[in-house]
Amino acid sequence: MWPRTISAGVVLLFVCFSFAAAEVDIPPDNFVEGWQKSEDLLRFVGHDLYGHIDGGAELFHEFGFEQLLVQRYAQGDNEIDLEIYQMTEPTAALGIYLMKCGTEKPLPGLEMRNSGGASQILLLKDRFFIQLNNFLGDSTLIPAMTTLARQVTAGLPDRQPLVVMDGLPPEGLMSGSARIIRGPYGLQPIYTFGKGDILQLDGRIFGAVGDYETEAGETWTTIVIPYPSPKNARAAFANLTANLDDYLTVTDRNDSAFTFQDYRSKFGLVRVRDGVLDIRIDLAAQPALP
Amino acid sequence: MAKPQYQSMNTRLHVGRRDFLKTTSIVGAGLVLGTPTLMAQDAAQKSAPEKPRTNIDEIAAIPRTETSLPGPFPGKVVQITDEKAMVDDKPQAEVVSRMFEAGLNRLTGKTATESFDMLLSKDDVIGIKVNPVGAGLISTRLELVDAIIAWLEANGVVRGNIIIWDRFDSMLTDAGFTADRYPGIGLEGLQTMDESAAAGESEDDSRWLDADGNHVSAGLFDPEVSYWADVEAPKDKPYLNQHVFNGKDSYFGKLLTQKLTKIINVPVFKNTGNGISIATKNLGYGAICNTGRLHRPLFFDVCTEVLAFPCIRDKLVLNVVDGLRGQYDGGPMPSAEFTYTYNTLFFATDPFALDMVCHDLMVEKRKSMGIKVNEHPMFTEYLKYGQKLGLGVVGKDEIQHVQVQG
Repeated sequence: MWPRTISAGVVLLFVCFSFAAAEVDIPPDNFVEGWQKSEDLLRFVGHDLYGHIDGGAELFHEFGFEQLLVQRYAQGDNEIDLEIYQMTEPTAALGIYLMKCGTEKPLPGLEMRNSGGASQILLLKDRFFIQLNNFLGDSTLIPAMTTLARQVTAGLPDRQPLVVMDGLPPEGLMSGSARIIRGPYGLQPIYTFGKGDILQLDGRIFGAVGDYETEAGETWTTIVIPYPSPKNARAAFANLTANLDDYLTVTDRNDSAFTFQDYRSKFGLVRVRDGVLDIRIDLAAQPALP
Repeated sequence: MAKPQYQSMNTRLHVGRRDFLKTTSIVGAGLVLGTPTLMAQDAAQKSAPEKPRTNIDEIAAIPRTETSLPGPFPGKVVQITDEKAMVDDKPQAEVVSRMFEAGLNRLTGKTATESFDMLLSKDDVIGIKVNPVGAGLISTRLELVDAIIAWLEANGVVRGNIIIWDRFDSMLTDAGFTADRYPGIGLEGLQTMDESAAAGESEDDSRWLDADGNHVSAGLFDPEVSYWADVEAPKDKPYLNQHVFNGKDSYFGKLLTQKLTKIINVPVFKNTGNGISIATKNLGYGAICNTGRLHRPLFFDVCTEVLAFPCIRDKLVLNVVDGLRGQYDGGPMPSAEFTYTYNTLFFATDPFALDMVCHDLMVEKRKSMGIKVNEHPMFTEYLKYGQKLGLGVVGKDEIQHVQVQG
């Protein structure tokens, strides 16, 4: 039985989820002739996502996860899985999309941002990151998958992500290398500065990451994090300085910057200014302090 | 063990609807009001978290046996590749069978029968731990399991004493491990989960919750053997449905503690984030319940500490990695975009050496595919921790990596 007194917050929560669920129209049977829903729609809310991705849900939660809808379709022995990850905002969905798609390979004929091939198509629209899986990798299913992609995204809003990547200097930025981070799980494949949420992104603050290469072949990676205030940026800088990873050795420092050498003898530079933490890693030579 | 390992399930499972709503509403309020999520608030308070306490010291003190890890070949890893193993992305049973025999031979230096006699006896009850996640794409291939079963049967093990197992029963079925495909062979999930109830699509809890409020799989876990970690679990019903218990104990399946006398571990070759999800993770997260709470604070350490328990340490005799297909990114979820035909099997009695070799190969593959790789030593520290516990040998100079072309 439901309790008689339900808090206003709970009511608001369910109104919110109901509204959110209504944003997505799950394509019906025969979205292409012969394709039928083969199982009930599944819905994973909050940490229930661990029930679907045991060991990979942390990244979604860090970026801002609301719910996942899973619908499986079949046509004879052929199957397509539709997974709709509803994130808190478009930038969160973009962050997941960039983490998941590797080198972006758009399919012809799909209008929304997408990447994939015969086995899997990844889609991005508004705050929705969508996966279409065809585990057999049968390329003859691509037309059905693209039709499904169009139908599921047709009714979705189309707000654009924040321009978080504009913080990356354009000169030398390698095409397709830009990524977004929002906490330690997103940072994990890029670099380890220390334990936990060492950059104090709190699952709220977006940072941008990009790889660079000069004409001379010099390469490095830049991380730019615009904090809500100079005070926040200073606090993150102080936290990083105080808890820097044991495998990193500070080689020079002043009040607003420091340089370091890592376990592969590569160098790095961390600088805070005007509410922004600007980090360079994987430098071949010791940089000068600004 | 000195510490009580079990409490009344009624006290553990008493989760009222109000509690469930309370938990959910806090998270929801964070979303509605634009404040940090619970996780974010937690992260802000603990920028440099300490590792939670576990009962590993008690477990590590239990005397070793003749069959304890790392087995008869510490540090030795055999990698066998045959380009004919997969044709049109389908495993070729005869080739896989030959690869299995050849790999075994190179690992032990003996024939298949002599290898059997070294590692097993015909009276053993043998559990084959597969990885069914990502069914059909990156799950353990039936053809490899067939080869293992054929080897066991050829050496006198009756089919009824061979059990293919995983944590979740439904995943075994999804991956093709069915009674029709494996007549006479045991097929056991440590637990069931009602996916539709977990996903909130069904109000009917009767498929996973009994009349007394206990998870129907609770009796399948051993109340006397648990991996205890000072980490709280969520108290809501979906978590309970998926994880059976929600206290600070992660119980081992009775299958491991009471039924099996030997284990053959057959994971797949795939990544999990910047690390790997291969030999140690297949058992570390596959042999116990209540794991959701462990990912964030302990993650890879679970892969080491769970393998230190005698029910794995003293029973795990062989690891065979199914690398017929590999996945180099997007894991542990199946991600077709990042799978590739690898035509490779790995063999070891030492799962830690095996994972160290596979980790290095995965890093190499990720780099070659243009994936950003963080090479921080932390991603293999859990394997070095395994060596400290005497479970494996992982030093670069101590590992013997034998590569064979089929």
